[in-house]
Amino acid sequence: MITIEQVNKVFRLPHDKKTTLKQRFVNVFQKNTYERFYALRDINLNVKQGEFVGIIGKNGSGKSTLLKIMASVLKPTSGSVSIKANVAPFLELGVGFQADSTVKDNIFLYGALLGMSRKQITAKYDWIINFSGLEKFVDAKLKNLSSGMQVRLGFSITVIVNSPILLVDEVFAVGDIDFQQKCYDSFMNFKKNGRTIVFVSHDLNTIENFCDRAILLKEGSVSAEGHPKDVVTAYTNS
Amino acid sequence: MLTQPYLEDYKHDISSGRKNYIYLTLVMAITDFKMKYDNSALGYLWSLVKPLLMFGTLYLVFSVFMRWNVENYKLHLLLGIILWNFLAEVTLNSMVLLEGKASIIKKINFPRWIVVIASSLTSLLTLFLNIVIFFLFFIFSAPPFHTSALLLGLYLIELYFLSVGIALLLCALYPKFRDIHHLWEVFVQLGFWVTPIIYPISIVPQKYHTFIFLNPMARVIQGSRQAIIGPPGDFTGFTSHVLIISVAAVLFLAGLTLFNKLSPSFAEDL
Repeated sequence: MITIEQVNKVFRLPHDKKTTLKQRFVNVFQKNTYERFYALRDINLNVKQGEFVGIIGKNGSGKSTLLKIMASVLKPTSGSVSIKANVAPFLELGVGFQADSTVKDNIFLYGALLGMSRKQITAKYDWIINFSGLEKFVDAKLKNLSSGMQVRLGFSITVIVNSPILLVDEVFAVGDIDFQQKCYDSFMNFKKNGRTIVFVSHDLNTIENFCDRAILLKEGSVSAEGHPKDVVTAYTNS
Repeated sequence: MLTQPYLEDYKHDISSGRKNYIYLTLVMAITDFKMKYDNSALGYLWSLVKPLLMFGTLYLVFSVFMRWNVENYKLHLLLGIILWNFLAEVTLNSMVLLEGKASIIKKINFPRWIVVIASSLTSLLTLFLNIVIFFLFFIFSAPPFHTSALLLGLYLIELYFLSVGIALLLCALYPKFRDIHHLWEVFVQLGFWVTPIIYPISIVPQKYHTFIFLNPMARVIQGSRQAIIGPPGDFTGFTSHVLIISVAAVLFLAGLTLFNKLSPSFAEDL
């Protein structure tokens, strides 16, 4: 489903950021110095259909960058990524909503961004509102919702869009117990349907309970891979 | 637990996904339009009132205080402002909206040109409403109607591609060079004065005309005036259209190429 071969992602960290013309003109003879920062180093990964893969690691270890590469939001500096299906944009806090628009408008915009048609979104609209539990807030601005509510909304839309691959970035942290249960139920459903999930979490219990395989990232490289229990142990011992 | 309707139409959705760019563009344009006038009392009316207020001010200064000796000056001025405002709005707004969409661009992979086209559609709606208002003024001032007024359609198409071409060029560069926004703001101001919008072309010494009409906007504005309000002139002619269309085509193609080249790194630069 997803094949990643020898992927490197290098971010250039300028020592002195020059983004305005003046800075460029003034320093025109001065060489622009920067460090090469390897966010991902030689990643090889193969995710099969229907597999649940969990990614863990410390902050800054490249987890989100890897998800962004899978979502083709970021292009790898070198290496190849091939994805054999539609990928739902990955889900995380503030998924890419417009803060100044209403919940309703955001559902339609987000649905359209996920590649749905008006008909499809309209058909699923009530379900989304219902699942996210936002019946009272349909006409509220998104910025006035709590972060938990925003994640619930994002999750509900992502659940309903029928992409075979789902990328999830740390969403369990903000939902309340009821919603977490809903998420778990949905995850079980995905499994039954043969959808593929790659998800990043700091919640090690979730990783152990749901994943078929776990990957531990350390400074951009895979430092352990295999059965979730072993990988989590490797992480907690490091 | 709630049943999940995706079970049955799972296959159906996958095949149709990602082809709904037209719908996405429309939804984005509507959301932009709603957001723009959201917290204001007059709401959508502002898109009509704004050019009228600008027109009123300029009309007061240049028709009451200073006097140009132009027949139907009001109509000339209004049409010029409306057309120029469209160019200014499309080019400036597209950069603002690109910035506003940073949170989406960083997370979702969709063709970035949709942001620019959506923003241009919002301005296009305003343009059409403004043209309606212009024709109301036109009817009240009652100059004779010429069939050449139908040429306006062609001018609007030329104007659209010209504006979107510039917008694509600017947006392509914007994430790496933020100052292009300020630079362009100044340029729009400058353009407003070197284009015969508020003054009649007759006050400009003949020797500068060639330079003034190298500017395709001067031709669009002067040409549509001659076509609708009269008196007829050579700016409605073939050579004028060829010139406008070739400049618009070059800008549009250059804009598109540069945009496609630079937009893959938007997620990192914005």
